[in-house]
Amino acid sequence: MFKEGVFQGCSGSARERCCCMKSLFSLTLAGALAAQACLAQALPARAAARFLDQATWGPTPASITYLQNVGIENWLAIQFAMNRSDLPDQPILNAAGQSNNNLGPVQAAFFQNTVSGEDQLRQRVAFILSQIWVVSATSGVPNAYAYPPYWRIFRDNAFGNYRDVIQAVTLNPAMGRYLNMANNNKGNAVKGTAANENYGRELMQLFTVGLTQLNLNGSPVLDSHQNPVPTYDQSVVTNVANLLTGWTYPTAPGATPKTNNPAYYFGEMFAAASQHDTSAKTIFNNIKIPAMQTADQDLNSLLNALMQHPTMAPFISQQLIEHMVSSNPSPDYIQRVAQVFQNDGTGVAGNLQAVITAILTDPEARAGDASPNAITPAFGHLREPILFVTNVLRGLTAAVGATNAAAASAANLGENLFYAPSVFSYFSPQSRTAHGLLGPEFQIYSTQTAANRADLVNTILYGTLGGIKLDLSPYTALTGNPANLINYIASVFLHGSMSPQLETEATAAMNAASTPLAKAQAALYIVLTSAEYQIVQ
Amino acid sequence: MCQACTRRNFIRVSSAAVGSLALRPFGLLPALAQSPTDYRALVCVFLYGGNDSNNTVVPMDSSFSAYTSIRGSLALTTSELTPPVTSASGPPVSFHYQLPGLASLYASKELAVVANVGPLVKPLTRALYQQPQSPIPLNLFSHSDQQLAWQTSIAQGHSPTGWAGRAADYLAQAGVNSSSFPAFFSVAGNVLEGIGTSTQPVAVSPGQSLQLTGFNSSSASQERYNALTSLVADGSGLALVQAADDALAHSLSDANALSAALAKATPLKTQFPNTSLGLGTQLQQVAQIIQVQSYLGMSRQIFFVSLGGFDTHANETATLNTLYAQLSAALAAFYNATQELGVAQNVVTFTESDFSRTFQPTTTDGSDHAWGSHHLVLGGAVQGGQIYGKFPTFQLGGPDDTDVRGRWIPTISIEQYGATLCSWFGIPASALATIFPNLAKFSTSSLGFLG
Repeated sequence: MFKEGVFQGCSGSARERCCCMKSLFSLTLAGALAAQACLAQALPARAAARFLDQATWGPTPASITYLQNVGIENWLAIQFAMNRSDLPDQPILNAAGQSNNNLGPVQAAFFQNTVSGEDQLRQRVAFILSQIWVVSATSGVPNAYAYPPYWRIFRDNAFGNYRDVIQAVTLNPAMGRYLNMANNNKGNAVKGTAANENYGRELMQLFTVGLTQLNLNGSPVLDSHQNPVPTYDQSVVTNVANLLTGWTYPTAPGATPKTNNPAYYFGEMFAAASQHDTSAKTIFNNIKIPAMQTADQDLNSLLNALMQHPTMAPFISQQLIEHMVSSNPSPDYIQRVAQVFQNDGTGVAGNLQAVITAILTDPEARAGDASPNAITPAFGHLREPILFVTNVLRGLTAAVGATNAAAASAANLGENLFYAPSVFSYFSPQSRTAHGLLGPEFQIYSTQTAANRADLVNTILYGTLGGIKLDLSPYTALTGNPANLINYIASVFLHGSMSPQLETEATAAMNAASTPLAKAQAALYIVLTSAEYQIVQ
Repeated sequence: MCQACTRRNFIRVSSAAVGSLALRPFGLLPALAQSPTDYRALVCVFLYGGNDSNNTVVPMDSSFSAYTSIRGSLALTTSELTPPVTSASGPPVSFHYQLPGLASLYASKELAVVANVGPLVKPLTRALYQQPQSPIPLNLFSHSDQQLAWQTSIAQGHSPTGWAGRAADYLAQAGVNSSSFPAFFSVAGNVLEGIGTSTQPVAVSPGQSLQLTGFNSSSASQERYNALTSLVADGSGLALVQAADDALAHSLSDANALSAALAKATPLKTQFPNTSLGLGTQLQQVAQIIQVQSYLGMSRQIFFVSLGGFDTHANETATLNTLYAQLSAALAAFYNATQELGVAQNVVTFTESDFSRTFQPTTTDGSDHAWGSHHLVLGGAVQGGQIYGKFPTFQLGGPDDTDVRGRWIPTISIEQYGATLCSWFGIPASALATIFPNLAKFSTSSLGFLG
């Protein structure tokens, strides 16, 4: 049913020669690995483009050719070792001496990095982790300077260990403010107060083990009445809340440390012993935490217990798969990844580099590489707004300036970077399409945002996005031969395959336009607004 | 699927500037004298995050000393409460001092309070709640699950449809509205509440339109528009792709009807509090749609608006002061707008929220997730100035508590609350069982606040 497009770059024996030639000109590790890869079978362009759609912020003609040359294994090794893009630290106060709540520069830098940065996989995984571990400026942390350090937790641990993510976020002052881990004093019988349950509850529900015990393949554990078994009950929430009492913000330079420091977002929170609840606590799976432990010891006990919880591996693995590959992974796929989460082969649990590798190289993820006909209807996922924006911009060879309208564009589609509506993020992993398939991103794909998405394509192609310059010349150069232009658009945006219907309509729109630019714009408009492009398959 | 946008029926040419990201205002709407003979609208105001309704409305009777001592730093003093209003059906009540508009509407009997409502599988007592395998809602105290419980009315969880969506299904099957425009209209994005088995909601953001920009009357532009509409109508058969097609197809299909109707609008005199995309702006948009309902062919509509930020685990006092001021001003303005439009008797506005919050405060001057919650119903048809249901006993570990922190076990179910609204809306008793499958487990399907 699908027409295979003409792939750019090299093909057959010509490709082998060409990629090896390129490697000769490179003195980098990447070049050396590429030369090695030439000995192996070169990757078809469709396979490369699909992989890049799952692993990066969008395929480009250059990145497709590059991956074809080096192969997936080497590409992953290069990405794991690559230098890290950064988000710029922001001043605490603005020019008027007030709290600086302008996240614009951080948002703009994020889009510069994602559209143009080399460490594509690291940034992609970091963004996914930040969607699980949400800190938001909506009804949350307004201070711009809190966000770059918080973001670096995910950037720096994207290929690290999940336990380190849990620990770093738990002690991060931005999360401390957002979910009230900071200055959460122990309950006070005289005042009639209890420890704040916010962080303890969401740490379990959203960040680690979820509400329902899961089998390794993601299916719920059922009791003898066939009811799902909860992961914890209210008494566990209360106990974990007590366990996590007694932490306060880092002490600002020049200030005197207090039991309850004022908010300060550089550095880690520290324990204030007098406000830690030292009673014994029973937590999930009936694990007993002894009395009289320090706040540090209690936290360490909790991290150990979480890492040993059998539900964490499928719970987190499924979410990572949903973000990268498919909203509806098979139980077997989840199980294969969860097994790696539990044990990376060296006895280590929570190794994210191994988990990401398992997700991207799994047979189910790669099944559609050969042909779109191998893809099942529920496979893939809706491109969320931020990913949509970066994909379009990368495919159109955009140069993104230090101040740019990318974040505002995604916000108008329902995903405002660093402004998730709540700790439940922009959309829920459990959200479904109207016809019952899992489709998390559909939660923010409404009649309004669908129309806005088409309008954004219009703005990008026919107008201007502030601070962003596109290069449409590779497209306009091909308008003399409609089939070539269609094939080129398909190779960049649709993994080289376009349905006959889409090809017909894009060609009709193109043929009705007169100038080369107008032809390219019309064909791109139809493809970029198509449902076929919205769904990454 | 997309009747208005076939190739031969290309009628829409947007005048909006090509290449602009600017929001497109609806245009000033207006005061058409329409006859609201058989028009009824329900307006759901969802308070996201879990509103601490213990401080929305406070019974001013002998329980006030328990309220003051247990709520500690959260307790409102009499100077932070509106003057008590007596009621025939319950204790005198005061409202939070940042809710003066609502207190005034309660005093003038346009607003009722429904006490201690929440998701229930069946009527429950503390003793029953504490038994193993007791029939309690799925994942109590979880934001996401309890939001869905409110929106679906299915406390056991896992419903693919919302109760208002099922009500919209009924309207469609009974042919109540003369057009195929969706009966459920969200001004706050996609919500499960409005998804039916056979009907889908429309979502429009305040100040925006569904009309696509960038087209003109040139043949090249028309050809491109035709290509777009042909594709969404075709679909490719792949399920996720089909779902994405559907969203844009619905948008295109609803856009023309909405724009044509809104072109008939004239400006409202009522001033709304206009915080950016806030509740006032959302409710202003609802009022504008209600004004042109006859042009849309609607005689029954359900609207959905929302206000977030109620997850007050810490620093609750300052947060509620801000949110309640917005809530009160927006709801009062909306009620005034329905009077201006002559439809005050035809529109009922009601609140929903994830849950209420612990009666006992946290060490961080806030409150944690709880359960049963007091809700507000507003409109000319409401038998206002009264309390429906009972306030819980203000006692930690007392008869209404799930544990020891004042998480009240509801005494009224969502089904009863929703069925009362739907009965007024015109849904026959025979259809209520489909919309609220658990309704028969509760003693009455009419709480009386709508007569």
